[in-house]
Amino acid sequence: MTMTTEQIRDYVLTYLQTTGCQILDQSPYHVTTKLSPEADKELTGRPFYWGFIERTQTEPETMSFLFVFDPEQYDAAELLKSENAEQERRSKLHAQLNQPVRSSGAVSGPQSESSGPPSGWVQPASAPQAEDSILGRYFGVVRPLPNVGPGRIQREHLHFGSPRLNSIFSAAKRGGSCVYLFEDPGQRQRVTLFPAAYEPWLGVCFKAEFACDMKREELHFIGVSLSSGRVDIHFRERLEGRELTPRLPENIHIEPTSLSLDQGREALEQALMSRLDAVDSSWAIEAHNRLQEELELIDAYYKDLLLEEDPEKKLSAQEQYGARRQEIRWQYEPRILVSAINCGIFHLRPDPLRQIDRYR
Amino acid sequence: MNTQREADLPKVEFDRSWYNQLDTRLGKGGPWDSWDLFSLAIQSEEAALVTDFEEMQCLKHLHGLEPLPHQTDTARKVLFEMRGRAILADEVGLGKTIEAGLILKEYLIRGLVRKVLILVPASLVLQWVRELNSKFGITATAQKKAHSWQSDIVVASMDTAKRDPHKEILLGQEYDLVIVDEAHKLKNKKTTNYQFMLKLRKKYCLLLTATPVQNDLDELFNLITLLKPGQLGRQGDFSANFVVDKRVVKNEDQLKGELAKVMIRNRRGDGQLNFTKRIVRNVPLQLSPEEQALYDGVTSFIKGQYQASGGNLSSMLSLVTLQREVCSSRDAVFVTLVNLSKKLAPDSPVRDQIWELVHVIKAIKENTKAEKTMELIREMNEKVIVFTEYRATQEYLLNYFRDRGLSAVPYRGGMNRGKKDWMMDLFRGKSQVMIATEAGGEGINLQFCRNMINFDLPWNPMRVEQRIGRVHRLGQQNDVRIYNLSTNGTIEEHILNLLHEKINMFETVIGSLDVILERFEKKHSLEKSLYKIMLESESDEELRKQVESLGQSLDSIKQEVISAGDSQEEEGNLEQLLGG
Repeated sequence: MTMTTEQIRDYVLTYLQTTGCQILDQSPYHVTTKLSPEADKELTGRPFYWGFIERTQTEPETMSFLFVFDPEQYDAAELLKSENAEQERRSKLHAQLNQPVRSSGAVSGPQSESSGPPSGWVQPASAPQAEDSILGRYFGVVRPLPNVGPGRIQREHLHFGSPRLNSIFSAAKRGGSCVYLFEDPGQRQRVTLFPAAYEPWLGVCFKAEFACDMKREELHFIGVSLSSGRVDIHFRERLEGRELTPRLPENIHIEPTSLSLDQGREALEQALMSRLDAVDSSWAIEAHNRLQEELELIDAYYKDLLLEEDPEKKLSAQEQYGARRQEIRWQYEPRILVSAINCGIFHLRPDPLRQIDRYR
Repeated sequence: MNTQREADLPKVEFDRSWYNQLDTRLGKGGPWDSWDLFSLAIQSEEAALVTDFEEMQCLKHLHGLEPLPHQTDTARKVLFEMRGRAILADEVGLGKTIEAGLILKEYLIRGLVRKVLILVPASLVLQWVRELNSKFGITATAQKKAHSWQSDIVVASMDTAKRDPHKEILLGQEYDLVIVDEAHKLKNKKTTNYQFMLKLRKKYCLLLTATPVQNDLDELFNLITLLKPGQLGRQGDFSANFVVDKRVVKNEDQLKGELAKVMIRNRRGDGQLNFTKRIVRNVPLQLSPEEQALYDGVTSFIKGQYQASGGNLSSMLSLVTLQREVCSSRDAVFVTLVNLSKKLAPDSPVRDQIWELVHVIKAIKENTKAEKTMELIREMNEKVIVFTEYRATQEYLLNYFRDRGLSAVPYRGGMNRGKKDWMMDLFRGKSQVMIATEAGGEGINLQFCRNMINFDLPWNPMRVEQRIGRVHRLGQQNDVRIYNLSTNGTIEEHILNLLHEKINMFETVIGSLDVILERFEKKHSLEKSLYKIMLESESDEELRKQVESLGQSLDSIKQEVISAGDSQEEEGNLEQLLGG
């Protein structure tokens, strides 16, 4: 699977907003941002700098980035912008030249109205661009001098698979690993007299990796009610459409739990196991066959070598044989690895009709 | 409830670190993470999820790299059929590095590989690091200190890795993937290289070499034993089943079948890998009387020195350079002469001879070659790269062109990376001409330019091929036009004759040029042989004859190598075998 440019943009903007970064400028193709301290620590890899800031209690200077989602469109828009600016500058100049000199001194050139930059764009200084184009006329493509220092805005392309996007992905994963949330009841609950009881759920998003010499992955977001013991293997759908908030809303109380956290975990793992066992296991059988074939091949190869008279040769053959057998197992042996992307406790309004038991 | 699992289902391992984390936070009452980030985390995991065992993921993750079809096919085959242990034996220039990069990237994305060791010749370490980073977005470390080995992906030279103390560190590790570039250095079982590789613990392994067999079929057996011992049976079985003589195969189809399970070899001319044509034009030039005088003066000076030294070739190298430079430009000769005279005692009689030559140089007003080059460039009116061997010639040409209103950019080995890139950009952009002294090394990919001028010729055919390879490569849409400047009545004429008529190297790509040269140079290097001929022949006629006989022996080796590729019955059907 992959992500579209639009999905990437939405993702990154959500990340920046959630972590409190300052959005300086944005378009469908880019966003310019000054990172919050939180995001800077996650993304820029400057542990020494942050260590220094914290020890000396200095005001931190976070880094700024120009994240470009669609370089072609962005550059085209920038070019258009600088051309417009250039034209504007020229027409102003032209107007000034044609202006009769007045004794009053104040030269009020006609403001060009026709060729302003498209709205929604923050206008950068056009001087460096003009300079670029003059140099460019003589030298073709010119590498601009690296702009260093606090005012520097580093440009990075965020396409799927780019290192920066991957670092944002991992930052989101680190920053969103463990939650404790309540369903927001909205206006209704505040005006009603009857307190509502919320059901506590343990929800875990599992990742199952089916691995041999190749690999396939599945996500299973499963939840178990810690009060009733009910398991919902479509926990994600259960959460969909509900507003979640970190604070216990007014007029709400929580049903007592009957399962411990550990029992909840067990219930989830068991539900997951039966899901995994139901998956077509031909991949594992095939991998196992490959493993056997490979083992037979080296058995045949080392048979004679292991019977060497010379003890030194024999020892080295034994070592090689053992190592090679281990490598083959390492490479081919089918196994399923289960880890969790993230997890949490979710307090949810019970289903209006409790009879829908999704547990199979 | 289904609690009893069947025995043949794969075992399931649970990573329960999430539970401990949640338990701890519950105990402390927090801190709790944001729901937005929680959702984002699932969203990106979902986007990066590998949903299929056998669908290549890496292409979705790569931007700015468009692998050629044969490269993706190769990667796919190695991943899904060969299961990650393979010899990549493409001919030079077809992108073995790209193939290895794709495979590495795919394994990284799938989380099947974390710890990687890449062993390459020392001179290529930085190039690999750079390419992995720029083309594949893979951060690799160039091994410098002992702690470099801690990094997940390390590029190191084989010579370093196999020595203590590094060897012990590496043999104590387990590598998910080991890549060896120039793997023909592993062909001999007895070498430390080979023994080291045998002991290295690895899950997947890629061996890259353009010449999996150079001399002997056993080399192939040894390489494969590193990957998959037993694939070709035991050593004895292999010899009995497949080998007639060192270079002669029997049961070829069966062997081909076995090889195809562990080795992929793409060749030029295979299907889609058709290269455009090379069109060669030799441009004979007549030196002006002054230039001819210099040439003759230098020649007799060198011969005199050679005789005075009693025929000692090794002491003559700088003088031989002089002879080659005189074919290039007077500036090149001048610099070398001045340097020579600085080294001599003030009262040495040789000094006077040198100063005489300098006077001859001063008398030269025109540069026949430069004039002709200018004329050619104006005529073609397209991008063109001019190659020269000498820095002084490069400077001269830059000035010469500038004075005549033609902008040219220089390119040389000594420039740093940034400057090289810049020069490349300039040439791609506005400049019509690039003047280069270096043809080797990465980064000079000039498929947008289809003209090249050999202002002078290297005497080493590999270097000539390197030059042509910068322009005549995959991605070149047009036929490539090669202009060779050669001055009549000079050694250059003979060299050109040798390279063009005998090796025919300008017109066809010789995939096995390195093999031909290696066999020829078992006795002497080609360059040395040429020096000797040049210094010792009494007359132009003798020179011609000697070069002729050199050409004959090159030609016969070439025929041998080619026929090895063409016929199955005759001696040596190796090329055929590998071609499969």
